[in-house]
Amino acid sequence: MGYAASEPDTTEAASALAIKILIAGGFGVGKTTMVGTISEIRPLHTEELLSERGVGVDDISGVESKITTTVALDFGRITIREGLWLYLFGTPGQDRFWFMWDELAVGALGAVVLADTRRLQECFPAVDYFEQRGIPFVVAVNCFDGARRHDPDKVRRALGLGGVAPIVLCDVRDRESVKDVLTTLITYAVEGVSKD
Amino acid sequence: MTGEDPGPLVRLFGLTGGRARPAGETFDLVAIVTTVSTPVQPAELIPEHFAVLTLCRMPTPVADVAAHLKLPLNITRVILGDLRREGLVTIDRPRPAAQTIDERIYREVLHGLRSL
Repeated sequence: MGYAASEPDTTEAASALAIKILIAGGFGVGKTTMVGTISEIRPLHTEELLSERGVGVDDISGVESKITTTVALDFGRITIREGLWLYLFGTPGQDRFWFMWDELAVGALGAVVLADTRRLQECFPAVDYFEQRGIPFVVAVNCFDGARRHDPDKVRRALGLGGVAPIVLCDVRDRESVKDVLTTLITYAVEGVSKD
Repeated sequence: MTGEDPGPLVRLFGLTGGRARPAGETFDLVAIVTTVSTPVQPAELIPEHFAVLTLCRMPTPVADVAAHLKLPLNITRVILGDLRREGLVTIDRPRPAAQTIDERIYREVLHGLRSL
């Protein structure tokens, strides 16, 4: 039971579709703010319960009993029409939750890697992750108040990026700016080219 | 609500009989859950089952179901796996985004985003 065997030839124009986009980047770079700026609903919050299997990658030497902890997961939604949604998932910022990314990344259309030029190195792991798995991503440089505006080409060189992934400057508090980041990502992910 | 909550973990794993993994094939965070039928003998259903069956009369992604139930994702998935096993909901097979987004959907999404 469950569902019929998949038949690629069948057109399922009426079926519902949720498109998943990940928002990654270092701790405190503005991921939750970005989701909140564009989401039609207050970002939803859920949690994943972790057994000791997940926690085992963390340094918990001396702790022998089974541990269950939770990792928070915030996400937002944009309804394009009934039955067609964009979901934005903020990835857990802490390194010890890397294994959760694998699950989040399955079937994702693409990712936004948020970067703060004052701590650019914090987005390196996310860039590496998406590059290794062939997941389309854009680097969005969040221009905080007081942060110097950087030339996207310099950011590209600093990140060691090839010439393909788009780099955009943005303000995660500004709706138009976030829309611009998302349209750049979707265009890049679907057409394989940068919008500009 | 009377008295003290015995503790969230006790309650949560009580919902799933101690299981942390759903029955059957795994499913994605944004897999779409759709109610097939609501049983005529509702006494066998826990309130969370009812909540899912009511919510998913409109096709609803798994993550939304979790947020709506205010339950962790893996607990939600166990509940959904049980409902699927009973034939009460369907959960669509996750498909790579690149294969599901055709030109028409792509245009729709871009247009929808720009007109927000």
